[in-house]
Amino acid sequence: MTERRFEGIGATPTVGIGTVTWYRPTDVTDLDEPPAPDSVDAEAERERFDAAQADAEAELEAEREQTRERVGDDEAAVFDAHLQFLKDPQIEAGVDEAVDEGRPAPHAVMQAFEGPIEQFEGMEGMMAERADDLRDIRDRLLRLLTGTERTDLGSLPEGSVVLAELLTPSDTAQLDPDSITGIATAEGGRTAHAAIIARSLGIPAVVGVGDGLNEIVDGTEVVVDGEEGVVIADPDEAAQQRAEESTQTSVVEEAVETADGREIEVAANLGTPAEAEPAVDRGADGVGLFRTEFLFQDGSAAPDEDEQYDAFLSVCETFADGVAGDEDPRIVVRTLDIGGDKPIDYLDLDPEENGFLGARGIRLSLEEHADLFESQLRALLRVAATDAGAGLAVMFPLVSTVEELEAALDRVDSVAADLDSEGVDYGVPELGVMIETPASTYLADAFAERVDFLSIGTNDLTQYIQSAQRDLDRMTDYQDPLAPAVLRAVDRTVEAGHDGGAWVGMCGEMAGDPDLTELLIGLGLDELSMSAVTIPDVKSRVREVDTDDAEALAESVLAVDTLAEVRDHL
Amino acid sequence: MERTLTVVPDDGLHARPAATFVETAGSFDAEVTVKAVDGNRPAVSADSMLGVTGLGVRGGDDVRLVAEGPDAEAALDALEAILSTPEDELDDMELP
Repeated sequence: MTERRFEGIGATPTVGIGTVTWYRPTDVTDLDEPPAPDSVDAEAERERFDAAQADAEAELEAEREQTRERVGDDEAAVFDAHLQFLKDPQIEAGVDEAVDEGRPAPHAVMQAFEGPIEQFEGMEGMMAERADDLRDIRDRLLRLLTGTERTDLGSLPEGSVVLAELLTPSDTAQLDPDSITGIATAEGGRTAHAAIIARSLGIPAVVGVGDGLNEIVDGTEVVVDGEEGVVIADPDEAAQQRAEESTQTSVVEEAVETADGREIEVAANLGTPAEAEPAVDRGADGVGLFRTEFLFQDGSAAPDEDEQYDAFLSVCETFADGVAGDEDPRIVVRTLDIGGDKPIDYLDLDPEENGFLGARGIRLSLEEHADLFESQLRALLRVAATDAGAGLAVMFPLVSTVEELEAALDRVDSVAADLDSEGVDYGVPELGVMIETPASTYLADAFAERVDFLSIGTNDLTQYIQSAQRDLDRMTDYQDPLAPAVLRAVDRTVEAGHDGGAWVGMCGEMAGDPDLTELLIGLGLDELSMSAVTIPDVKSRVREVDTDDAEALAESVLAVDTLAEVRDHL
Repeated sequence: MERTLTVVPDDGLHARPAATFVETAGSFDAEVTVKAVDGNRPAVSADSMLGVTGLGVRGGDDVRLVAEGPDAEAALDALEAILSTPEDELDDMELP
C-alpha cells in the first residue's frame, strides 16, 4: 500500500509510530424527544441532576489531581474553571427552570447550557474558548445522566496512536503516556489544550490536520511526526525507519563524553519541581537552569523561606536518588529573575521601568526586592548543607557590572554570617553568573575570577546583542543565536571564562538543538542545559563528536561574517 | 439600591478581577445583579462567573449594580471597591 501524508501542525518535537485508535466519543447531545411535560416528575429529575452534578464534581476533582501530578499546576487549572462553571448559579437556575417546565434532566441540561455557549461563541479570543469548556462540562453531565459509557482512553494497548476530531481537557487528562505513541487531531492549534499537555507528556502530536484525517481508519499503521507536522498513514520503509530511529533515541542514563573522551555535562532546564522526575527519566545529568519564578507567579504573596527550601531540596533529592554515578548531581538554581517579560502580579512591576532594558533580574534583587533575594539565599544556603544538596549551585541573572556581582556575593556572605550566628546549618554552594548581556560578555574574564562558573543564556543574549526584542514577531530574523555577532560573543565568553578558571555552560534554546551540539563542543562549552525532551538526542550526538573536528568547525564558522555563511558551514 | 460605575481593571470583568468580584458578591446576604450599561445583554447575577464573564465588560466600560437584601449597601461598597482597583493592586485589598 502506498503511503499517504496528511499535513497539520506539529505540536511536539518528537516522532512516534503506532496503530490507530479513533476516539469518537458517543454524541451524548443527540437526545430522544422529551416525554409530555405533565408526565415528568420534576422532583425526581431535580434529584437526578443533583446526583449527576455531584458525580461530575468528583470526576473533575480526580482529573485535576491526576493532571497536577502528571503535568503541572498550570495545566490542572482548567479543571478549577470547569468546577466553577459546573456549579454556576446561572446554570443551576437554568436547569431548575427547565425541570419546572416539565423537561427531564438531560433535556434541561441541554437547554441551560445553550444560551451561555452561544454567547461565548460570539465573543473573541480567549472567551471563545470558554464555549469549548462549557460544551465539555455539558457533555460530561449528559454522559452521566444518560448512563453512557465513557470511552476509556486510559487503557489503550501499548503502541496506540489516538486520532480524534478534538481532544478536550477531560479527554487529555486520561491519556497514558506509557502506552500512547502519538496523537493527531483534525481541529486545534499549537496552543490547544491537547497540544500543550502532549508536549508536557512528551507524546508526539500533530494538530489541525483537517477533515482529511477521517480517511485514516482504525488499525492503520501511522507515523505521527510532530517535528515536521505530518501524519503518515501506511508509511513506507524509510518513514518507518525514521520514526523508529527517533523513538529509539534511547535514554542514556550515564554521563557522556565525546568520541575522543572529553566529558560534556548534559543537564535539564526546569520551571517547576514537578519537571525534575521526567528530566531524570530522560537522562539529565543534573539541572543547568532551575527557574525560581514559578514560586512567585502562583499565589498572591511571595513564598517564604521554608517554601523555597522545600522546593529546592525536592529537586536536589529527585536527582540525588535518580541519577547514576558517584558524583553529586549539579543543580544550578537561578535567583529570582523577574521583570522583562516575566511579570509578577503582586510585585507591581511597571512594563517600562521593569522592561527588557529596565530594572529586572539581579537589579531588582539588589534594590527594591532585596528582602526576596535574602530569603531565597537563606533557603539555598540551607539546602547546600544537606546531603542531597551537595551539588547545589546558585546563579545570578542579568549581571552587567562587576559592582553588581560583588554586591550579590556580599549578600551571600552576609546571609552565611547570619545563619552562622543563628546556629543554622548552611553551606556555600558553587556560585555563578548568567551571561546574557553584551556587557557581561566583555566582563566574562572579571566575572570568572570571582565565581565558579558562567552560563550563557542565549535567548536574552541574542536579544541584547542583536538589539531585537524577544517577543516582537517582526524581529524574528534578528533572533537567531547563530548570528555571527552572537557566536563571537559566545566564543569570547567561553575563552575568558576558562582563562579565569571557571567552567562555562549554556542554558538557552540553542543548547538543546542536536544539530548544533558539535559546534557548541567546538566552541569549548563544558555543559549544555536544555528542556528535557531533547536530552537523549543531544547525549547521543555528544558521543559521536570528535573534539578536533568540532574545533575546526567552530573556527570556520567564526571566520565568516553573515548568518547565511554560518548556515552553509553547518 | 443601585449604583453605576466605571470599571478600572484593564481586563474588565475577566480572569482574576471577575473571580474576585464573583466570590465577593457571594459572600454577602444580598441579591446583586450586574449589567453592562452600553450592552444589550440583560442583567446577570453577580455571583455567577458564567454570567459575569459573559457580559464581555472591558476596562473603561460602565456597569450598573443593583442590590437587594440586608447587606445590600455593604455588598455594593465592596464590589465598587473591586471594580475601582487596578488588577495589580487587588491583592493589597482587604476583602470581606
